[in-house]
Amino acid sequence: MNRLPISLLAILMLVVLPGCDYRILERIGFTYAASYDAAPQNQVEITVSIPRAEPTIKVKRELHSAIGQSSKDARIKFANETDLLLVNGQIRVLLYSEALARKDLSNEINSILRDTSISPLVKITLVNGNAKELLSKNYKQHLSTDKYINRLLEKSSSNHRIPRTTLYEFERDYYDDGIDPIAPILKEAGEDIAVDGIALFQDYKYIAKISNRDALLFSILRGKFKKGDMSLVLSRGEDGSSSEYIMFTSVLSNRKVHVERRAGGTIHVTINANFKGSVHEYIGNKKLSVDAQRHEVESKVSEIMTESANRLVKQLQLHKVDSLGIGIHVRNSMSYEAWKKLNWREEYQKVEIECKLHFKAKDYGKIR
Amino acid sequence: MTFSKALRNMIVKESASQTNQDDQSPPEQDSKPPTLAHTLEEFVDCSDITHRTFPDHQIDLVYFDQLTDKDKLSRHILSPLLSGSDEDVAKMVKHLQPFKTTSSKTLILDVLSGGIAVFHGPDAYVFDVYSPEARAISQSETETVITGPHDAFTEQINTSLAMIRARLKSSHLKVIKLSVGEVSKTDVYLLYIKDIVNMKFVEEAKKRIQQIEVDAILDTNMLIQYMDDNKYSIFPQYLTSERPDAIVSKLVAGRVAGIVDGSPSVLSLPTSFFEFFSSSDDYYQRWILGSAIRLLRFIAFVITISFTALYVSVTTFHYEMIPENLLMTLTESRSRVPFPPLYEALLMEVTIELLREAGARLPTKIGQTIGIVGGIVIGQAAVQAGLTSNILIIAVASSAIASFVIPSYVMSASIRLIRFGLIMLAGFLGNLGLVFGIAAIVIHLSGLTSMGTSYLNPVAPFKPKDWKDIFIRAPFTALRERPSQSSSPNVMRNKTKE
Repeated sequence: MNRLPISLLAILMLVVLPGCDYRILERIGFTYAASYDAAPQNQVEITVSIPRAEPTIKVKRELHSAIGQSSKDARIKFANETDLLLVNGQIRVLLYSEALARKDLSNEINSILRDTSISPLVKITLVNGNAKELLSKNYKQHLSTDKYINRLLEKSSSNHRIPRTTLYEFERDYYDDGIDPIAPILKEAGEDIAVDGIALFQDYKYIAKISNRDALLFSILRGKFKKGDMSLVLSRGEDGSSSEYIMFTSVLSNRKVHVERRAGGTIHVTINANFKGSVHEYIGNKKLSVDAQRHEVESKVSEIMTESANRLVKQLQLHKVDSLGIGIHVRNSMSYEAWKKLNWREEYQKVEIECKLHFKAKDYGKIR
Repeated sequence: MTFSKALRNMIVKESASQTNQDDQSPPEQDSKPPTLAHTLEEFVDCSDITHRTFPDHQIDLVYFDQLTDKDKLSRHILSPLLSGSDEDVAKMVKHLQPFKTTSSKTLILDVLSGGIAVFHGPDAYVFDVYSPEARAISQSETETVITGPHDAFTEQINTSLAMIRARLKSSHLKVIKLSVGEVSKTDVYLLYIKDIVNMKFVEEAKKRIQQIEVDAILDTNMLIQYMDDNKYSIFPQYLTSERPDAIVSKLVAGRVAGIVDGSPSVLSLPTSFFEFFSSSDDYYQRWILGSAIRLLRFIAFVITISFTALYVSVTTFHYEMIPENLLMTLTESRSRVPFPPLYEALLMEVTIELLREAGARLPTKIGQTIGIVGGIVIGQAAVQAGLTSNILIIAVASSAIASFVIPSYVMSASIRLIRFGLIMLAGFLGNLGLVFGIAAIVIHLSGLTSMGTSYLNPVAPFKPKDWKDIFIRAPFTALRERPSQSSSPNVMRNKTKE
């Protein structure tokens, strides 16, 4: 046949047809952050923040908000307000208000999972207060709010102030047997946004919160990690004796979980965590350069940490949230049928959990 | 007469190469005995032919003045003939060693290739004083290296052959002389090293060259297109090089080389796709450096075919793939551009190709101006005028630069053209189109052959042993065998003890 005209036509089509496409970068509004708030009548209020890079306008981001039955319903409403083609492929942060999370997040999370353009690496965060207000407010001394939140979460999770909670990890913990998902909590703090703690979920329901103070301890109990810093008051300076205070960084932590079936059918779990750190600050009357005295300090740290770890675990058991993943180890210690028969949620409270933390000072600097 | 006796004594048997040449010529003219009348009739209207008569000696000379060495001509032929006695003529003859010719056809060919035809009575002789005007040996313009030999082949076939002979002092280096072009009668030498080469390639190359029936062959790159396995492919199927060291390395690797008279590039066959990415420099550097540079060339290949296309597909379809910070600057610079990314990219690519072509055609002095003008126009004005985004400039420029990293100019030109197809596919179907395009290239490449061997050697057929001299340049102690593509009967090349 006439090959030449056909191939010429094909090339012509290849050149001409792309001109019809509207999906060009500058006409796309890519949502960077979205917040979800509870609204009356079981509705949700959704706010999206879309960065703009138009040199002719001064605004750095567009904000749109709407109330709807579902997230997609609200999306349709605010799509009418913008000239940009709204897409979700660059979404980085999802903010849920605590009030909404206390009800249930399953609808919201499911609609996100269904959207294939949303990356599993999107960060899931709760907001103490109104999520829309947190996202809409401009914080003078920071970047554009959406980026500020994203980087804050990234930084905080990199030094284990908060766990790394992306959609992937949240979902993995949700579907895995024997562990419950967690998420960080943010709150507005005047001119800044601050990390407020760690939210503990039971399935998609927000149950309890771990305060900032225990965040690193929680990380130590949750698994192996590198990097992180912590300060600890070893003893209050009561009646004249000087107070003892220690601060250490570059924490290297490793934990091991042993599951034992004790007589009478009770499950006994031991969490052994060894963590090392470089002592940056030590205020007290012991000399760290003397081995014996340093060991004393170390054992004191271990003691205090063990104590608060046990308290933390008790608290988790009280709320019936297995955020540490103890269930995984229990599951692995028994057969599948036995695990299936076990109602872990109920059994969890009855489990005896014992934490043993050991601190070791890697180095203590030049000061003798 | 002493003269004719001397001539008869001094006749050198016709060489094997000449017999070879006779094979090429149509047989009907061969039978005619060479006569002065016939020769002059053949060259009638060639005003540059010189015919001199020496009645004293009954000698006629017919030759082309511009093809002969004037010094030799006047010193050894003309002056004895003009002034000397018969003895002087005899001495002259002894010195120059003429060929006696029996066929008119051969005589005419010899005159055409710079011989002097001497007619003495019924006999005809040819003195070879061929010395055309030739360029001196200089550096290669297209294949420069930093370390290693700097000489390059010239247009003169004998100079080129001499450069190879000087590097390979072996009687095993054999040369087959062929002639191509019914009008041009261009000499083609096929070179190979006996016992290293697989003779099937020599036979096949010889056969293919002999089958060419065309008026003229002007360059090696023209000859190889007549020898192609796949005539419609965009890829060159034989490697050509201007560097004697490169060609010698191909010869000792068991490949066949071909020199075409009048062309400074020499071909090597069979060839694989990956050979185009290696340069002699790799072997003269330390092996780690050589390997790094070779890997860099493959990266350059990927960049040059896909970078602009990726820009188009990403800005049109896949905004998810861009890091957030880059996305902002990209949108910002794109926001003033009135065209879709495809047209923007095509516009810039065509501009760069225009610049390159103009730069290649213009003399060096004006070429610099083009560089400056082009640099300003493309680098600054196009962005400020809102014709393109500055990130596209980076993409286009880096893919253009990357295309020049590929040592073979022919290959780099082919790859640059493929890029346009990929850009269009990317603009039409995004990354899917890009993948389609690349898949089509891979399929096409796998189907190509060079002299009946796979073009993707040693990747397909899978010969990981050869990879250490393809993707990296392993230390010489590791390079012990000749490439499998040349299927050499003598595989070991390096017997050095470690």
